[in-house]
Amino acid sequence: MDPLTWTGALGDWLDPVLAVAAALFGVAALASVLAGLVLPAPALAVNPDGTLAVRRNLRSWVDAGLRGAFAFLILVVLLYLAGGLLLPYGDAGIVGAMVRRFLPVWIALALTFALSIRFKRRLGLYGKLFDSTVGMVGFGLVMFWVFTALFVGLFDLIATHDPLAAVSGLKNKPPGVPVPGADLPAPGAHYLLGGDNLARDVFSRMVHGSWIVVQIAPLATVFSFMVGITLGLPAGYHGGRLDAVLSFLSNLILAFPVILLFYLLVTPEIAETGIPSYMAVGLFLFPILFVGVLLWSRYRTDPRRAATLMVPTLLVLTWLYLSLVSQAETPIRFMGPLDLFDVPGGILVVFVSVVFVNSPTVFRIVRGLTMDIKTRDYVAAAQTRGESTWYVMLWEILPNARGPLIVDFCLRIGYTTILLGTLGFFGLGLPPDSPDWGSTINSGRQLLSVFPHPALVPAIALLSLVLGLNLLADGLREESLKD
Amino acid sequence: MPQIGTLSSATALLDRGPQPILEIDRLSISFFTRLREIPAVMDFSCAVMPGEAVGLVGESGCGKSTVALGVMQDLGVNGRIVGGSIRFKGQDLARMSEAELRKVRGSQIAMIYQEPMASLNPAMRIGRQLMEVPMLHEGASAEAARARALEVVRDVRLPDPERILESYPHQLSGGQQQRIVIAMALMANPALLILDEPTTALDVTVEAAVVQLVKDLGKKYGTSMLFISHNLGLILETCDRLCVMYSGEAVERGRVADVFDRMRHPYTQALFRSIPLPGADKTARPLRSIPGNFPLPHERPAGCNFGPRCDYFERGRCDAQAIPMFDVPGDDRHDTRCLRWDEIAWDAPLAATEARAKREPGGVVLRMEDLRKYYSVGGGAFGGGDKRVVKANETLSFEAREGETLAIVGESGCGKSTFAKVLMGLETATSGQIMLFNQSIEQQPIERRDVDTVSSVQMVFQNPFDTLNPSMTVGRQIVRALEVFQVGDSDADRRERMLRLLDLVKLPRAFAERMPRQLSGGQKQRVGIARAFAGGAKVVVADEPVSALDVSVQAAVTDLLMDIQRESGTTLLFISHDLSIVRYLSDRVMVMYLGHVVEIGSTDQVFAPPYHPYTEALLSAVPIADTRVEKTHIVLEGEIPSAMRPPPGCPFQTRCPRKRQVPSRDGQEPPGTLCEAEVPPMRTLAQGHQVKCHLPEEVLAGMIPVIRIAAE
Repeated sequence: MDPLTWTGALGDWLDPVLAVAAALFGVAALASVLAGLVLPAPALAVNPDGTLAVRRNLRSWVDAGLRGAFAFLILVVLLYLAGGLLLPYGDAGIVGAMVRRFLPVWIALALTFALSIRFKRRLGLYGKLFDSTVGMVGFGLVMFWVFTALFVGLFDLIATHDPLAAVSGLKNKPPGVPVPGADLPAPGAHYLLGGDNLARDVFSRMVHGSWIVVQIAPLATVFSFMVGITLGLPAGYHGGRLDAVLSFLSNLILAFPVILLFYLLVTPEIAETGIPSYMAVGLFLFPILFVGVLLWSRYRTDPRRAATLMVPTLLVLTWLYLSLVSQAETPIRFMGPLDLFDVPGGILVVFVSVVFVNSPTVFRIVRGLTMDIKTRDYVAAAQTRGESTWYVMLWEILPNARGPLIVDFCLRIGYTTILLGTLGFFGLGLPPDSPDWGSTINSGRQLLSVFPHPALVPAIALLSLVLGLNLLADGLREESLKD
Repeated sequence: MPQIGTLSSATALLDRGPQPILEIDRLSISFFTRLREIPAVMDFSCAVMPGEAVGLVGESGCGKSTVALGVMQDLGVNGRIVGGSIRFKGQDLARMSEAELRKVRGSQIAMIYQEPMASLNPAMRIGRQLMEVPMLHEGASAEAARARALEVVRDVRLPDPERILESYPHQLSGGQQQRIVIAMALMANPALLILDEPTTALDVTVEAAVVQLVKDLGKKYGTSMLFISHNLGLILETCDRLCVMYSGEAVERGRVADVFDRMRHPYTQALFRSIPLPGADKTARPLRSIPGNFPLPHERPAGCNFGPRCDYFERGRCDAQAIPMFDVPGDDRHDTRCLRWDEIAWDAPLAATEARAKREPGGVVLRMEDLRKYYSVGGGAFGGGDKRVVKANETLSFEAREGETLAIVGESGCGKSTFAKVLMGLETATSGQIMLFNQSIEQQPIERRDVDTVSSVQMVFQNPFDTLNPSMTVGRQIVRALEVFQVGDSDADRRERMLRLLDLVKLPRAFAERMPRQLSGGQKQRVGIARAFAGGAKVVVADEPVSALDVSVQAAVTDLLMDIQRESGTTLLFISHDLSIVRYLSDRVMVMYLGHVVEIGSTDQVFAPPYHPYTEALLSAVPIADTRVEKTHIVLEGEIPSAMRPPPGCPFQTRCPRKRQVPSRDGQEPPGTLCEAEVPPMRTLAQGHQVKCHLPEEVLAGMIPVIRIAAE
């Protein structure tokens, strides 16, 4: 087998075209910036029928040129993708092979976008996202990784090799290297993005890493929000001493160096004392509190229905909670055979630490929003009809604070992803052979100057996911402000 | 130093014949959105002569502020003048370059906005902000600018100008801030002053003082004014001519007296019939609201915009073509945009609406005795610092009967909201008693009240845009109130009751599924009323329920409230600062000032002499849109004192114009010393009419009515 080149046979004629397109775009962008500085803006004129018309001048032609060059560039990129899907394995090189591997993701993305755009007027804020280019790009990037993670984690699709298996002879080999013993030009015949320092497939490790990131980051963020909301609402609503104490505590946590905190939490001596487990006991109690209060305040006028809803929900949640906090090999272990699952110790610690450092920030946001919203008349109306304080907080205030909270949620998943990367980079929490992006970057770091690809690939993956989340948050913010 | 007064130049212009300062000719302004062009102003013409004050009246969304922004050439990125011209002193503003416009704005044309704090830089001392104007526009030296600033601050009648110049905007009260904004506008001797609802954010007595000031300054400086307001009464007091706008068009313009007394457009007529003028009465002569809704800018009807809501609409004629302006002969430059202006019998009396049976008040429902509410404020986070007591309510005593409307009148800080809070149970009283159906509730916070008590005392809130939870459907919010009040025994039953409540407030049942943002202000207020009456409330506190609504909607909502009250025999506590509407709908009136009840009595007693001096000033301050009305002008000096530091003795003594008429106790001290020393006792003047004042009998007896209607 021959090694794969980046673009294969397709690249022989498409690569020069790409170069031309990129050069054109660069020149056009520069010209447009210069024209914006020097030339006057095109004048707008009103037509007799009430429509607006632009009187074209040199500057509008320059801008049109930029748009044309951009469209050309996009077209070339799309050609690469189409080539990868249509040409036989190997003819479109590494890029083509990867495009082909991601085929389920492309289908899922296309379906999502088609359906969402078709029904966007009926989908509220989510639908409005498809009015904003920035939001769509962000959503696309995020969903790319979410679908990748789902297909890898649930159906074992995309990846070409076992992320932990080493193939001798492929240590630190460049992208496109053939796997010894594979004869057919079929998926798995090459390490698409090369091998790392333990001769594992970088491409497979990257897509498997997405499954870990997509599992932990949103869930940890959800827990941070539950904690932050459950504490922030009463602090903002009641104010006074409660607020002073809670705000002081959150300042205390925020003031503590995060990395040092993580080191402390995962040090084996500290883990043995059970501090992280006890923290889990405390922090994971909040979702149960949150859901319980949410349901009770809403249905307190109808105790029968409240009971039928709350008892099963709370039972399930409590069981999950007990299973979660009761871990083998920690001081807290009491469930015995009833224990549903054990989270690997490292992941639990990562989870606890991420929730612990994120919730004070959420607390502050919720507290501020609550202080603003509680002065509204509808809150007074709820008070004067004798609603309980928790009803006012959870059903009158919280839904109206959702705009900023959703935006922050997206941003915070991004931060958490970076935080996970940081933790992995310091070798904290997750096991050293874990394919998550942070650990992979760390292990690729040592030979970075000689073999950059093992570190570069997960770094780019991390970048694109966080960029997507930030763009998504921007798009949501922009669209939620319009009405 | 620049000369004050362009009066001389103005007269010079006059000598050359009538040369308007501002001439707007067939102006059309549109806003362009991604979806469509939205015409905001269409075919609008208007001229402002030197020294003349022109009013621009209309409801929200009619385009009056857009006209002002058009004159300033400040329409933003998507606003554009699509037709017509705006000439300022003969020059077309649209043809000016940015640099020329900058010279005109602020020096030749000045604008005053509704929210004074939004026009002042919070990080700069007042003096610097004022001095900037001549230094920028005329290159004046700092000393000259400062001298001019001092003079202008004195002109706007602010006390202690030196101190004011050294202070920051937040250190001044709302009225003082608005005076500074006016001063800033006058710094450059503008030829034209545009005032966009300059007093809407102010209290009535402060508003009266600011309006008086604007009028006087207009005379002194000879400035032309474009006065934008939704308040017809204010226009009558300030302007020479007015222009009524509806849905982007001027529908009628002319001299104030002509338009007020000989209106020739159905919208103007409908507007006047929907505001409570003296003589309107809730049982004998109810208000007439304008049917239907304001058309959205992109859904305007063909032909006459007002057509679908007009009583005189003629199919095939009024909706056939665009309606031009017609000149009304006989009057001075009086035009109307009505095809049928000479066919309609304008003076025909209003078709008699059925007079409603007056309901006699029943037994006492609510009794307050010596209610006091003090707050202690101050003190740092750890209990340090000095504590102060705010006396929000002092010795409040009154009764309210079943089916009665008791109006509570007062300006901001008078304690009416605190009183409502105590009554609702959001706060507990410091001392005194509240008896609801002979049950004492003043010490019961709302959590400890039983469902019956809670549902029988309910509230309608002021701000329609805030009264409904934006993320819950209208129906759900009413159903929730039913659930909490334990009305109905199943979800289906409660849903049925909710639909009936929507019927009661005259909203279509389909609204149950709507979100609040899909409703107009008046519709939201109706939902708020439905919610308050969900549990069969016996006492409803209405906190300025219509003050934020457009006049034509106000009448409809007020009438709805009255109808429901008449049917259910609810006691209505109507909190308001608008004395016209209070006079129209209330049976009894209670006037509050700084936590004290200063006067209480039946509506007739309060609105006729003898008055408490504060009531007298309040009555005189309310602008009334009726040319027949003559008012005694009483302008109160100074600001409402802070409840944190109330003056000693009578709460009103710092601003009381009649303090000097209180004789001295021993002949030695100056008159009025008594007011500064002692809180006056509550004196009963007539059956049920009480006044808290030291004025002797003969002064009270000698008072003349503030509002007099000239013989017709």
